[in-house]
Amino acid sequence: MQFTKISLLAGLALGALVAATPAQAEDVTITVWSIDGANQVGPSDTFSAEFDAMDNGINVEYRVLQFDEIVNETLRAYATGNAPDIVSLDNPDFALFSSRGAFLDITDMAAQSDIINPEAYFEGPLNSVSWDGRLYGVGKYTDTIGVFYNKDMFAAAGIENPPKTWAEFEDYARKLAKPAEGVYGATLSARGNEEGTFQFLPVIQMSGGGYENVNTEGAREWLSMVKGMIDDGVLSQDVLSLGQWDSTGTFNSGNAAMAISGPWEIDRMVEDADFDWGVTLLPTFGEGDERSSALGGFNLGIMSTTKHPEEAFKVLEYFVSQDDRLFPEFGYLPTRGDVELPASGIEKKDAALAVFQEQLKYAQPRGPHPEWQKISKAIYDAEQAALTGQMTPDEALSQAQATIDTIIKK
Amino acid sequence: MTRFLNALRDGVGFDILLVGAALLFLLALAGAPLVYNVLMSFQQVDMFTLGVLFRPFVGFDNYVAVVQQPEFWMVTRNTLVFVFGSMTGQFVLGFALALFFAQDFPGASTIRGLFLVSWVMPGLVVGAIWSWILAGDFGVLNVILKSLGIIQNNVFWKSDPNFSIWAVIIANIWLGLAFNMLLLSVGLAAIPRDLYEAAELDGANAFQRFWTITLPMMRSTIGAVLSLGLIGTLQQFDLFPALTEGGPANTSNVAGFWSWQLSFQLYDFAKGATVSVMMFLLVLFASVIYVRSTRHEVRG
Amino acid sequence: MTRTYTPWFLLVVALALAAVYLFPLYWMYVTSLKTGSEIFANPPTFWPREPNPDIYPETWARRTMPVFLLNSVIIAGGITAITVILGTGCAYVLARYRNVWIDIGLFCVLMLQVLPASVMVTPLFVGFNQIGLLNYPRTAVVLAAAAKAMPFFVVLVRATFMSVPRELEEAALVDGNSRVGAFFSIVLPLARNGILVCAILTFMSAFGEYIYSKSIIQSPSLQPASVGLSGFLGPNSTDWSSIMAYSAIYVTPILLVFVILQRRIVSGLTSGALK
Repeated sequence: MQFTKISLLAGLALGALVAATPAQAEDVTITVWSIDGANQVGPSDTFSAEFDAMDNGINVEYRVLQFDEIVNETLRAYATGNAPDIVSLDNPDFALFSSRGAFLDITDMAAQSDIINPEAYFEGPLNSVSWDGRLYGVGKYTDTIGVFYNKDMFAAAGIENPPKTWAEFEDYARKLAKPAEGVYGATLSARGNEEGTFQFLPVIQMSGGGYENVNTEGAREWLSMVKGMIDDGVLSQDVLSLGQWDSTGTFNSGNAAMAISGPWEIDRMVEDADFDWGVTLLPTFGEGDERSSALGGFNLGIMSTTKHPEEAFKVLEYFVSQDDRLFPEFGYLPTRGDVELPASGIEKKDAALAVFQEQLKYAQPRGPHPEWQKISKAIYDAEQAALTGQMTPDEALSQAQATIDTIIKK
Repeated sequence: MTRFLNALRDGVGFDILLVGAALLFLLALAGAPLVYNVLMSFQQVDMFTLGVLFRPFVGFDNYVAVVQQPEFWMVTRNTLVFVFGSMTGQFVLGFALALFFAQDFPGASTIRGLFLVSWVMPGLVVGAIWSWILAGDFGVLNVILKSLGIIQNNVFWKSDPNFSIWAVIIANIWLGLAFNMLLLSVGLAAIPRDLYEAAELDGANAFQRFWTITLPMMRSTIGAVLSLGLIGTLQQFDLFPALTEGGPANTSNVAGFWSWQLSFQLYDFAKGATVSVMMFLLVLFASVIYVRSTRHEVRG
Repeated sequence: MTRTYTPWFLLVVALALAAVYLFPLYWMYVTSLKTGSEIFANPPTFWPREPNPDIYPETWARRTMPVFLLNSVIIAGGITAITVILGTGCAYVLARYRNVWIDIGLFCVLMLQVLPASVMVTPLFVGFNQIGLLNYPRTAVVLAAAAKAMPFFVVLVRATFMSVPRELEEAALVDGNSRVGAFFSIVLPLARNGILVCAILTFMSAFGEYIYSKSIIQSPSLQPASVGLSGFLGPNSTDWSSIMAYSAIYVTPILLVFVILQRRIVSGLTSGALK
């Protein structure tokens, strides 16, 4: 026992020595934080390594963080003076920092730049990096949601086209559900976190509302419709706790005929689904009514505490200059309209991507609002309260509205 | 100076040194964060002031705001249900198993060892496993219950507001069983055999022996198990994000998770600290019970 | 009591109970062997249709698990060392006397561990940053987590010291030993088994340390296995069979050690060691 104790302490001391790496004095070092590279190679880690390898007097130190943790780690580091130079955040989290000036205002630098051109970006991603008319970052990549449907099941039920309206969505789902065989009509995610808001907010938006005005007639109708489908076993009750990835997993295994989710599902679906499938736009309330969809994806920004703003901007420019590699190498959709997406040669994948690219035109950001996370909790809590029958849709949305009002008025 | 050294080597000084070192360590690494949280609950906090101690003072505003949150009473109720349900389950099952394995049969201690497995399992892993077991459609618990004829239709453990808190309780009982059984086994083993033999000669039946010998002799062990169990249960965190995330609509949200959610998902650090201070008061109560229970200890 | 058949009946009951209890463990192994879509199959399969054992070497190599596991061992070892060194003496004193100061001491030990680690990590981070300890992240984690492990250890070891007969220590003092001498030559050896067992238990639970490590240790080459596990949870994708395979690799070695040692652990705690 005594011996092991000593060797453990020795191990500790050794570990501490290894931890203290010497800093390079001559070159400027830019630190980049992002979630890329944890499971598979992603854009930020790849581009950072490439830039680091270049002999231009700028080194890039890359740190990979978890999705759930990156905002907290950045806040903590910012408060203690250890903030990175560049950080990549989920788009609704961006305003938390940009609204307080924690991101560097790059409006003027971008105006001088040959590479970063704000006008080339889609409106949604651009809004999410803007605050008070100033530019605080650039979109890294984007995504949105649509409806995946199982063409074999549609054919077997004699349904020709995918649903265009929510009424059709319900009608088809009820026809396609086969409770005895464990097959649901559809699946989606109404989980109690950002994912729930991600899928529910577009419904509010397409019925004429927005995050500041959630209690719309359409939203109430939609909640009643989904609640009815859950009660009748057309939708699994577990849509309340499954994330989009797991919920779509049940679609892939043939246990649901339709699934609301996004382009990140495509590769797994191509591999796993042993049936014919397609994607269609998110339904609307009436045919030809206003469309909306969720805007996902990450942004890149330079922290205002950086000691080397110019060098950091150069790194940012390099990242942006590689946007044409996002899709072919990493499967992400760029946030700009001026980047061509080469065909992958996989028929279903290319067809699905075409739909998602069209859907992106209707994608609206969540916020931007510095206290977005609180607004979001009000929205997903309301959705869950209505879908579990704890409150009527009207009560739930009124309560959410009251909470949101106090947040926005501040 | 020599007197001081002598005291250190040979008197109360030695005791103070031993206790003092540990307490100083705890004060620095657990006491300071506690003070920081209490302070924060009376202050206005944002990302710029996260790293400093002195911030705008707001009195009891944070406390008022927390109580006024629509979910406050539901979280309070859930916390009580969670603590009471988990501790009852862990304690009763743990005690039953400890009594059972105190019997003399082949393999008793080997098999008892297997029950300590949950002690070794990280909460993160346990949460992931149970989230699969408890899933509504593809979860194995429903299949087992159905084949036993206990339920007819799938129970959506994680998504049904009537069951969501129980889903976490079930997993937590599993997780805490090892700890309870271990401590209670230790307590049982410390009871002198001859007490039972004497009682048996007096014609006391098993129930009477349990009631008049086992329970009184185990008083301090039970006190330790319950108070450590309470602290452990209130601190339970890993299972929530893995199972229900406090949902649906806060029906399985408890103080510990809520505090984390306020601080680290909604970035409302002051309210998160406020909830943690409220929890602290609850544990204060439990610690008093534990310390009182040690009054009756007899040193062997 | 009829001692001829009852024990065998009890053994059967015990085995059945153990099977029920260990089912989640079985489920971890089975799930790791299923393919991506089979784990969503309704109804679930009790044995994978096409078991895929390749997932183990794949996960092992892809996640640099040797590094993670080594860090876990180092961190858990450090936590255990500090807890044992500081906790043993504290427990001894708390067991030796019976007065109001001891009550206060015990009370402090318990109260100081009330806040969940998730709430304590921000102030600790701020404090460690002030004194520059963030540059030695594993040391920082060891210190922080040892404070969390201490109360449990103190309460258990205190019970061990309670059962060391006081007369033995007093006899040693009468024989001319100093307090320090009596502590090291009489009391400590008598309580050795109990302390050892509590140290093993502390090590095992420290092996899963997660919250401090994930915030304080930035470099993947210094992170423990628990942080490596959470790296699987992405924004839009979760590789469940790999998570289960990783979990299995993570807990199996410690389970094995445990199964080998468990007889000693249990008997060390229950039969005589505490006396």
